[in-house]
Amino acid sequence: MARMKFLCDAERCIECNACVTACKNENEVPWGVNRRRVVTINDGSPGERSLSVACMHCSDAPCAAVCPVDCFYTTDDGVVLHDKDICIGCGYCFYACPFGAPQFPTTGAFGSRGKMDKCTFCAGGPEEDNSAEEHRKYGGNRLAEGKLPLCAEMCATRALLAGDGDTVSDIFRERVTWRGSSGFTWGWGVAYSKPGLRNSRDVEGKAAGKD
Amino acid sequence: MNQTKPWQIPCAAVFSRMLMALFVLVLVVMPQFAPQARADADTAAGKVANPGTELWREVRQREAPLAGATQVTGMDSGVLINTLGEQWRRFRMEQLVPVAGALIGGVLGLIILFHLFKRGVRLEHGRSGNYIQRFKEIDRILHWYVATVFIFLALTGLILLTGRVVLIPVFGHEVFSAIASASKEGHNLFGPLFLLGVVGLFIRFVSKNFPGKGDLGWLLKAGGFLGGKHPSAGFFNAGEKIWFWLVIVVGLTISVTGLILEFPFFGQDRPLMALSLVLHGVGAVLLVAGLFGHIYVGTAGMEASLESMTTGYVDVNWARQHHDQWAEVCEAEGAVVAGEDLKKKQQLRGTKNRVPSRPATEEGQ
Repeated sequence: MARMKFLCDAERCIECNACVTACKNENEVPWGVNRRRVVTINDGSPGERSLSVACMHCSDAPCAAVCPVDCFYTTDDGVVLHDKDICIGCGYCFYACPFGAPQFPTTGAFGSRGKMDKCTFCAGGPEEDNSAEEHRKYGGNRLAEGKLPLCAEMCATRALLAGDGDTVSDIFRERVTWRGSSGFTWGWGVAYSKPGLRNSRDVEGKAAGKD
Repeated sequence: MNQTKPWQIPCAAVFSRMLMALFVLVLVVMPQFAPQARADADTAAGKVANPGTELWREVRQREAPLAGATQVTGMDSGVLINTLGEQWRRFRMEQLVPVAGALIGGVLGLIILFHLFKRGVRLEHGRSGNYIQRFKEIDRILHWYVATVFIFLALTGLILLTGRVVLIPVFGHEVFSAIASASKEGHNLFGPLFLLGVVGLFIRFVSKNFPGKGDLGWLLKAGGFLGGKHPSAGFFNAGEKIWFWLVIVVGLTISVTGLILEFPFFGQDRPLMALSLVLHGVGAVLLVAGLFGHIYVGTAGMEASLESMTTGYVDVNWARQHHDQWAEVCEAEGAVVAGEDLKKKQQLRGTKNRVPSRPATEEGQ
């Protein structure tokens, strides 16, 4: 069985937010809820880095551990899903999650939390695969159709990788190895393995590998 | 570096000052040179250090979460890794839930054991048949208001805290989800009412709960459990005063933290809400454990105690035995009501209340 994983390559992510938009469209998530977000560290300064982050589908998921109604389950593919019929919208998973993945529509009394919504790795929920009910509650179920999450499939720079952990790490290992063997260990010149994109003496700024 | 501290060698003042100046110079200048030196070495080796490495170390640091920029608006959406989540999880699952269960169950067990072996405190001289008013109607209404709200909040809170362990195996996930959802909504609805009650208790009872004469003696004798003879006490004994201040301080704490958690849209972040849950849980468990003791002493644990909160009157012998200083003052003031008079008074009130709903008497005329 596959063990599904996300990996975002910070050397490649250009903070275009296409993954965020693709996810929102594919899963038709409620207003105010974004299952995925791009965070930029040191924004605007030399050496800034962006990462696309959503549920990381932890092996020992803190959300599942603290849930007072035990609504989480892990699929055979290692995807952490939850049952919205069981969820009571308490917000404990939001406190426990390191990645800020759980989101809450403000549909409860006095505008408080409704039932939690989070990235499903495009794998829907406990309902029948690709049923109308499943789509209404959890959005698309691309995994059941043999496809990978749309955020990663849409990524223009192939920064965001999704799929079986072994495959994803093979791809990333190849990139890292290539980067390590070049004279420079970072910069646009090493983010891509195509020789045409390698460093040029005339390029200034980020591309030159200088801050 | 130790010898640079001047207070360690007071004789060689000049020498130490020179050393200190050198030390300061090193402190100020070194960090500016260090990264440069490292970068130079890297360039010399044909490599440029990846600033990303340092960056990720910072992001994953276990102390302060590093906030970045993001297009997504939402609570803490700029925080890439929330480092407090894991601590909160460990606290809740490994400490709060098991300790709460053990403490509440343990206190309940201890009280039952205590009652089986020692029985409650009886009235030493039986009933006198004469009464002193202990609590006015407004105080009794306030007490039972807080009691009702608190017991409801305690039950719903305990369902949310321990239901996964205790109730899911009994009811299953679907049914428990309905119970937990109702508990959450009820807890949120009645929570703010508890704050009103605590404020009311404070206003009505604070003047009688400052430490006073005999409190230390009462505590040293543990309220009469040690040393045989019942220690002297005023209107409230030291135990009641401690319970009062526990209810006020812990009650206010769980009310404020509860409000922080109930309305999560005033910009409070996850660290604050996680801390609030810790305080809320610990405080509530303490109060529930204390409540068991309070209920026991007010009912089976002490003969004729409950009357003070039901009718508002206590037997004079009860007052003399448990609150001798207060009884003395009341008897000196002539506040003692004979049993017959009290009965008439209560009957009078009863008939007065019943009159409008009795058209039968008019028919008889």
